[in-house]
Amino acid sequence: MISDPYKVLGVSPTATDEEITKSYRRLAKIYHPDLNQGNEDAAKKMSEINAAYEQIKSGNAYQSSSGGYSGQSSQGYGNSSSGEQGPYDFDPFGGFGSFWGFGSNGQGQQQRRENSEFDSVKSYMNAGYYKEALNALSYITDKTSEWYYLSAILNYNTGNKITALNHAKTAMQMEPDNPEYQLILNQIQNGSRIYQQQSQNFGMPVSNINTICFTICLARLCCLFCGQSY
Amino acid sequence: MFGYVVANMGKLTPEEKKLYRSCYCGLCKSLGTRHKAISRFTLTYDMTFLVLFLSSLYETDDKVKTERCLMRPLKKHEYWKNEITDYASDMNVVLAYYNFLDDWADDRKVLSLSAAKLFQHEFKLIYAQYPKKCDAVSKCLKELSDIEKSGELNPDIPANCFGRLMSEIFVLREDEYAKTLRSFGMQLGKFIYIMDACLDLKADIKKERYNPLTASSSENFSDILNLLMAECTEKYRLLPINQNKNLIENILYSGIWTRYEAEKNKKKEQYKR
Repeated sequence: MISDPYKVLGVSPTATDEEITKSYRRLAKIYHPDLNQGNEDAAKKMSEINAAYEQIKSGNAYQSSSGGYSGQSSQGYGNSSSGEQGPYDFDPFGGFGSFWGFGSNGQGQQQRRENSEFDSVKSYMNAGYYKEALNALSYITDKTSEWYYLSAILNYNTGNKITALNHAKTAMQMEPDNPEYQLILNQIQNGSRIYQQQSQNFGMPVSNINTICFTICLARLCCLFCGQSY
Repeated sequence: MFGYVVANMGKLTPEEKKLYRSCYCGLCKSLGTRHKAISRFTLTYDMTFLVLFLSSLYETDDKVKTERCLMRPLKKHEYWKNEITDYASDMNVVLAYYNFLDDWADDRKVLSLSAAKLFQHEFKLIYAQYPKKCDAVSKCLKELSDIEKSGELNPDIPANCFGRLMSEIFVLREDEYAKTLRSFGMQLGKFIYIMDACLDLKADIKKERYNPLTASSSENFSDILNLLMAECTEKYRLLPINQNKNLIENILYSGIWTRYEAEKNKKKEQYKR
């Protein structure tokens, strides 16, 4: 969580959605990693800008919905703004048994609160209510590696494959040694490996794009002239 | 539509090349005879793939003919057509029409409005034939435009929306294949949308335009695109396609990367300099 996302984007809290988006895109133009190759400071700044923009946008969404989760938004400000490391360092499963076996063996107050936060998410998930689980997850503002891990599973099961991949990668980055995270990332990318193998058998296209475009243009031009519908 | 779904011509046999070209020519011909000649300008390779794909699945009766055209005026060449060709040419016009309308609504380009006007009559005729399909396409495009305007950072949301549009186009009729074709079209549509976003990212950021991938960096793109194509080919394998198998797989496993690879090579060359 960023304490003042409006400040990061350089807009006032009363700014309209349009002004916020405008400011976000102006900042992206300056800091986006693709325009600043190899510049780590810019990349860091950009992820902060992304987080701020997301926070403002989702914050607006919360106001319009009447969820009973309002108390939680005031918690968990311990996370660093760049979202690299979660404040808690524990194994959420207390073992590596079933695929998503979630026991909550309360280990200290901090964790117990954390576990109960995810409890509703997990019970929805275990019952197969992925959309409801995602909704419950979206109210948890403290994005630990477990948050990203659960988000990856849920998004994968609701057809949001890109988010699933990105969040599984984030969970791995935050906690590289967690075998559960490795497992889910592998599962998500399993199909890709098979696809890539077959792709290699065909070989990648090497033809120059300009000649293709040219042929298409030419073909269209000729088609126009030989039309007989008039 | 964007024209990403093309074959890797270098890896096709001469027969496959001929078949692919004549499929394109057949669609072009169908556009010319069913609709105004100008509609031939809206022809894309994506629609050519639709014709090839559905024709192979349904093993249609193709009419093969030859004619001369300006490309090769000295030599007669083949084209083939069937009912699916006509369906694809109708859908091509529908997409072009909505696209022009959308451009007019967004940017107030007078050219787009006049182009839309040009297709209005054609569109009405097609609408009478496929009212449900046209409404579904229109609804998806409206939704997509709203998502893009809201500046949504989650790429899945607009990609799924565009996927739904493609899934409608891929369902020729409600039969035993409809469900699988729908999910195949969905995945292919997602891939096309994200591929377009990948290739436009730099330009969009510079011009401060919407791009669904603004929050990610290009080093993740190949993983994302591979994941989406993996899903797409998984659905493809569920369909009993026996005809033109090598040509279709050439497109799905290789040709579809043509513009991505070209862009990558361009970048590499720039890096060398």
